[in-house]
Amino acid sequence: MDKVDQFESLFKSATKQPFQREDVSVTSVAVVADGDASTVTAYAARLRGFLKVLGANVRWTEMPSDSFASIDELLTHLEEDHPDLVCTHRHVGSPNRRWASTLGETLDVLTQATSYPVLVAPHPAADHADAMEERGTETVMVMTDHLTGDGRLINTALRYTSPEGTLALCHVEDDAVFARYEDAISKIPELDTTATTEALKARLLKDPGDYIATCDAALKEAGVPVTVAAEVTFGHRLETWRELVHKHNADLLVMNTKDEDQHAMHGLAYPIAVEMRDVPLLML
Amino acid sequence: MPMLLEQDVSTGVTMLFTAILVGLIACLALEEKIHAKKSVISVAFALPCLFLGAALGLLPDKTVVWGGHEISLPAFIPSVDWNVISIILGASLFVDIVSKSGLFTWIAIRLTRVSGGDPMKLLWFYGIMTVVFSAVLNNVTAMIIVGSLTAVSLEKLGRREKLLAFLLIEGLLTNIGGLLTLISSVPNIIVGTAAGISFVSFLVKSAPFVVVATAVTIVLGARMFKITKLASEEERAAAAELVSGFDENDGIESRGFFWFGAVMTGLFILVIAGASSLPVISELGMGYVALLFAGVMLLRFKHVADRFYQAIDWDLLAFFAALFVTINVMEHARVLDLIGDGLKVIIGDGEALGQGALLVSAAGFSSVTDNIPLAAMLAKILGSMPPDQVSSGLWWSVIFGANLGGNLTPIGSASTLVAVTVMHKHSLPMSFGGFVKAALPFALVHIGLALAYVLLFI
Repeated sequence: MDKVDQFESLFKSATKQPFQREDVSVTSVAVVADGDASTVTAYAARLRGFLKVLGANVRWTEMPSDSFASIDELLTHLEEDHPDLVCTHRHVGSPNRRWASTLGETLDVLTQATSYPVLVAPHPAADHADAMEERGTETVMVMTDHLTGDGRLINTALRYTSPEGTLALCHVEDDAVFARYEDAISKIPELDTTATTEALKARLLKDPGDYIATCDAALKEAGVPVTVAAEVTFGHRLETWRELVHKHNADLLVMNTKDEDQHAMHGLAYPIAVEMRDVPLLML
Repeated sequence: MPMLLEQDVSTGVTMLFTAILVGLIACLALEEKIHAKKSVISVAFALPCLFLGAALGLLPDKTVVWGGHEISLPAFIPSVDWNVISIILGASLFVDIVSKSGLFTWIAIRLTRVSGGDPMKLLWFYGIMTVVFSAVLNNVTAMIIVGSLTAVSLEKLGRREKLLAFLLIEGLLTNIGGLLTLISSVPNIIVGTAAGISFVSFLVKSAPFVVVATAVTIVLGARMFKITKLASEEERAAAAELVSGFDENDGIESRGFFWFGAVMTGLFILVIAGASSLPVISELGMGYVALLFAGVMLLRFKHVADRFYQAIDWDLLAFFAALFVTINVMEHARVLDLIGDGLKVIIGDGEALGQGALLVSAAGFSSVTDNIPLAAMLAKILGSMPPDQVSSGLWWSVIFGANLGGNLTPIGSASTLVAVTVMHKHSLPMSFGGFVKAALPFALVHIGLALAYVLLFI
């Protein structure tokens, strides 16, 4: 029975989930921002510059926050417009911008109660808001702790990556969580602690590594001129993510925010959205 | 029938040891029910047998002459067939180390990809692979490799409903493949060695039967379990995409070792095949060849060699050793004479009837208990008979019967037991009766084919 299990593991390991390239269509963008019409127009212009990769054939709609009295009203506007992307900023429609520990209720609802991808850009009044237009999306970084099989995340990130740009695919396993498993393994006499933890560590990193390899191969085969950079590692979540963003000089971070079984934002997404305020985020 | 030994043994003593032998066989048949390993059962019988044999003065002088020197050995040492033990030890160690090269999984996954995920092609590929692996490795390892791959690939292809049929057919094919070479199964090794059949001669005689029986089994299995080709282009495209996710190179840690494993496997088969005619090697025997190749492979893992020692099936080896000891005592207690007299009745009704009766009774016997004691006893009995009374058909009847009997019940062979274990692991219901019902048509066809083959062509 042990050997059956051993060979089944070998064959399961050989069963790879290959990356499937799919086009992501973005033909309409809604900009939801604070300020009067001219401020929002200027903000939208900056965003158009930042997202020049989307091309000229995109319909841009501006929705100043004073054009809707409630979140319900905003959602009605969006339902009528049905954009492929909503661009906004933290604390939109809220006077509490100084509270850096939250995102604001409008953004919370947009990311969790609607299916639109939401691009969270710096606040129109933020010092670094102007820089975003010049930067463009030369380096787009996918941030996740579950990369394998997530073709939607990668295809979306690819759509926002400049031609000849870099798509950094980053998978970080939480070392704090692993430390708990390591501790449990060390207390099971039947298991060789060192061998088991090393094998488990290697296994956890192998699948995303393999998936990135199939993604790289698929893009090369399709002649997509984007460079794929891989980061598959263990780390302490926020600290490691900061290091990776800095290392790759990322222009846009792409991540999942929805969990099927909860209303609250995905565990990894919320702290990143709160803490990393100087890099635009695309929240799916 | 001539006496196996010259010394006097009373009928009472013979009957006592016969009862012990029946007890051993019954316990082996009920191995699963009494929750005891084969080695423990056989040792539990071998030790009292030795004690009683010594106490009753049945055992021969413990002095043996070797190279002109007298050596004193306890009875349980020379009674073990160390050539058989070393073949099993060396070959299993060799196969275990070669499997680390990723060679066998590479072949298995490559075939899965080539099949394009078509169930009919998969059945043929897996069936042939089961037979070849059973022949080259051993039937248990073959069933483990092919059975586990089948479970994973059918799950991936969304055809779990066919898993039971595939596993059953593969389980039956292990015993067909186990007939192909002299080293493919333990009964082959024991009977073939006792009969003096060379590796090549064994292969030449068994191959036509194996080819026909394999094809018949697969065709019959496909019909019985409604395994068909994919009908539409869309189905074929979807299945091909699913199997394209299999990476045959995943298990290969070192290309160099992969090729080394492949070359060594080829060499191993060649040297084993030529062992009886190669100078020096012919004196040392196939057991030496198996140990030599295992030793060479161990050099690759010299710093962790002990891990492979742990993986050796010590239960099987201890079982063999204890079994040889028990049979040796049975020989001295004239139990084998008694069985030989019974055998004489079976084979005494003319050559054709005798061979047929021996094949059928060997199959029937090995379907309910381990075929190894049967093979060991019959080999000993046939080997002790005058050569002019033992035709080659009788030896082959034992070989075919002992191997094919395993297809009648799930406990008839270790590999069908593995097949049932894989079924249960995947929550597929398969009772003893269910197995017999499903396997009976196949087993009857196999035994019928074997009867015709032995009587007409051997």
